[in-house]
Amino acid sequence: MQKTFFSRRRRQALIGGAYILPSFVLMFIFNVSPIFLSIFYSFTKYDMTAAPVWVGLDNYIKLSQNKYLGNVLTNTVQYVLITVPIQTILSLLIAAFIAGSLKNRYGSFLRSVIFIPVIASLIASAAVWDTMYKPDGGLINQFINLFGAPSVNFLGKKPTALPSVAAVSIWKSTGYYMVIYYAGIMNVSTEVQEAAIVDGASPIQRFWYITLPILKPITYMIVTLGIIGSFQVFDLVYKMTGGGPGRATLTVAYMIYSYAFQDKRMGYACALAVGLLVVILLIHLIQTLFFKERDAK
Amino acid sequence: MKQNLTVGKVIGTVLVSLFAVLCVLPLIYMVAVSFTDSQSLHIRLSDLKPDLSNYVYALTKRNFGLALKNSVITVVGSCLLVDVVSTMAAYGFEKKPVPGKEALFQGYIATMMIPGQVILIPMFMMMNQAHLTNTYAALILPMVGAFGIFLMRQFMVAVPNELLEAAEIDGCGELRRFVTIVIPLVQPALITLTVFTFNAAWNNFLWPLIINTRSEMAVLPVTMSTLSSNSTTNYGMVMAGATLTFLFPFVLYIFLQKQFVEGIALGGVKG
Repeated sequence: MQKTFFSRRRRQALIGGAYILPSFVLMFIFNVSPIFLSIFYSFTKYDMTAAPVWVGLDNYIKLSQNKYLGNVLTNTVQYVLITVPIQTILSLLIAAFIAGSLKNRYGSFLRSVIFIPVIASLIASAAVWDTMYKPDGGLINQFINLFGAPSVNFLGKKPTALPSVAAVSIWKSTGYYMVIYYAGIMNVSTEVQEAAIVDGASPIQRFWYITLPILKPITYMIVTLGIIGSFQVFDLVYKMTGGGPGRATLTVAYMIYSYAFQDKRMGYACALAVGLLVVILLIHLIQTLFFKERDAK
Repeated sequence: MKQNLTVGKVIGTVLVSLFAVLCVLPLIYMVAVSFTDSQSLHIRLSDLKPDLSNYVYALTKRNFGLALKNSVITVVGSCLLVDVVSTMAAYGFEKKPVPGKEALFQGYIATMMIPGQVILIPMFMMMNQAHLTNTYAALILPMVGAFGIFLMRQFMVAVPNELLEAAEIDGCGELRRFVTIVIPLVQPALITLTVFTFNAAWNNFLWPLIINTRSEMAVLPVTMSTLSSNSTTNYGMVMAGATLTFLFPFVLYIFLQKQFVEGIALGGVKG
């Protein structure tokens, strides 16, 4: 009896292993091993024609002296400061308003419409917005001209280029975060809300003292995703500005791409990618610590 | 007080409606321009003409036809692979006593934090060495990820063990149990995963851009990105290309709206 029990369990373990195996092979090859290879190549000089040459910390030293890194950092901080507050607050307000006051067919219709930009490809969106931003008669400039103001070269001038790219990002992601907030609000028990109504709390009070505190974890997550995403902006920059004018819209992701696939400096690009990995893991770590501290309270 | 409430509600409704208009306006503009043949962007309503010449031109002369075919093959292949591999893995993780499975699952989840740019370069080298550049396999194989396995496992929990045991006692074999009991029970989740994978594969850009460099193997977003939009271009044709790229996910969204939203909400609330 004992023996058959064990062999059955072992058989089940083997069968289970067989079910997991395909995912393991694919995950190992395409998700795990490249991380370690990236770290390895970051210590080499490699142009894909000759074998990689070990150069130690050379790439990292060069990277620390790279004068464009400063640009990228400024751009990323600016991008975060524009996109994260606007998309977070906008998606929260819309989700809270629809969940609270528009729980009807029109409300769900609005939710469906606001989600539409999320499904559009970034490249197609970039092409459309690029056309709308055109100084010679693009839709937005036509609108500005209506008020007698001169056309603005949105993507061609330094002060407007980055905010213009950021606007597309906000347009595309507000619906995404709205859906997450909406699901979060729907998870809040209605009993608490109803008790507050009975106690005479106004909608604004209920939002401020009940909904907002409950949504804190979601807000942390959305802010973290927003910050991490801004390091990785690629498609929009590739299609709309190519990192320019000057270096006004250069991002880390675009830099990695151009070092690796235009200049064929694979080792150097890997060093930059590893740097990006460290930064992103640090952001995750900070978020987790923040969370733990809040939970302990 | 009551009056205040309704005024606030009206203002709120108007504002949210305005935002919704802003969300679709660029897409309406895209479709409108795709039906003009003007070289200028000063489009009047009279410029709109109900003919598909821009679409025909993009599909036949600018490689959009090929790109459409490549995108469809890539998306179908990706959805099949991701669905099969993720469901199998989720079943193994949730229902089988595999030693060390929780540690492995945590390892899978951890890969979700890794930014794509970090694995891009070694993956490109591996594909190059395996002579898989400019193939569909290069686009499809890396689509399997932790998210799909995580999503399927969430739903696998709800498959009752008693049902599986009863079927086993009745002499229903392992594979038959998986196919005839487990898969029908997790079908709603499979649809969500398919929708998610469809969108990810369809809109994927950076990886197809670097791995499939031959224009016959390019997918829609890559072909789209090669259309320059300087003043000598026919904007109508560029917007026809953008509309084609947008059309397929949009049609899917109209029919499977709930599934689109579900995948995101689930990932977001749990994550």
